[in-house]
Amino acid sequence: MTEPRKPPVAPAAFTGEDMARRRRRSVALALVLAGLVVFFFVVTLVKTGPAILNRPL
Amino acid sequence: MSAAFETRTDGATLTSIGEARDFFALLKPRVMSLVVITAMAGMATAPGAVHPVIALAALLAIAVGAGASGCLNMWYDADIDELMSRTAKRPIPAGRVLPSEALAFGLTLSIGSVVVLGLVANLLSAAMLAFTIFFYAVVYSMWLKRWTPQNIVIGGAAGAFPPMIGEAVVTGDLGIHSIVLFAIIFLWTPPHFWALALVKAADYGRAGIPMMPNAAGPASTRRQIVAYSLAMAPVAVLPALMGFAGLAYLVVSVATGLVMVWLSIQVWRTTEGEAATKACYRLFGFSILYLFGLFAVLLVENGLGLMWALPKVIG
Repeated sequence: MTEPRKPPVAPAAFTGEDMARRRRRSVALALVLAGLVVFFFVVTLVKTGPAILNRPL
Repeated sequence: MSAAFETRTDGATLTSIGEARDFFALLKPRVMSLVVITAMAGMATAPGAVHPVIALAALLAIAVGAGASGCLNMWYDADIDELMSRTAKRPIPAGRVLPSEALAFGLTLSIGSVVVLGLVANLLSAAMLAFTIFFYAVVYSMWLKRWTPQNIVIGGAAGAFPPMIGEAVVTGDLGIHSIVLFAIIFLWTPPHFWALALVKAADYGRAGIPMMPNAAGPASTRRQIVAYSLAMAPVAVLPALMGFAGLAYLVVSVATGLVMVWLSIQVWRTTEGEAATKACYRLFGFSILYLFGLFAVLLVENGLGLMWALPKVIG
């Protein structure tokens, strides 16, 4: 049988170390997103090939 | 986005303090590296070729997909992971990543990797990646693992699919080459995993997981390890006999296959005390080297064109 859920307890405020860890995580996420931008750009160039320049001006 | 904290049923409050390395750990990087090398071998042995950038992009998608399934596995297994010494330090049981974060992370990467593979390669490879993730996260983790001692035998298929996905990326089809590579990994999984399960039987017993040593006993597990090794070693030679691997692969697969069988026999014969544990760890450690070695030679021979070709004996 599942135990009844106890009422939620408000979390303690993040410590300085917690905030630093969360900041490092955000930076890593930003770098991954930037990497994905480059990834999709390069893959699009390769998939489209020279035809990427073939458009009406 | 997940909340910054979560309340457990016992009232304890968990806060979101995981760093990038914790999320990376959720992807089971060591398993990912095996997936990458086996998928690369599938690509290299496939008849045909793709643009190197497309091959790299596809490999990234396959690796992330495999990582996502590992993440979903850790999310589902967090309750038993905290009971076992080998897994208690994983990010969720250690309290560094919230379960809801792991679930969101795993689902996002699963969907993203399948979509990307479909866009950069083809629908067949994307469908196979989706099936692999489903097989590992749902069929193995949620169903087989806690239900049958054949869990890692059947579930091992998930780890054996990457060469087939690799071939599908190149050809848009499935051929006999990647099916042989699938068979090698599939037959390799039981001796590899059960060598560890013999040592960690108490852990699995505490967590209530019916691994073969717990369900059928150590003696039966040892016999089955030898049987699977005896079946695996000749199958691992097939690439050389079928003409998609050369002399170097033939020599390496025969020599290391014999070592695998010999180490399995040592596990079977050595049943008591510290010597038995050492025999199990020797087999477990060598089995990793064995699979990496086979696929590395396949890659060098096919990917770099350094193959001393042999006459085709089969196929």
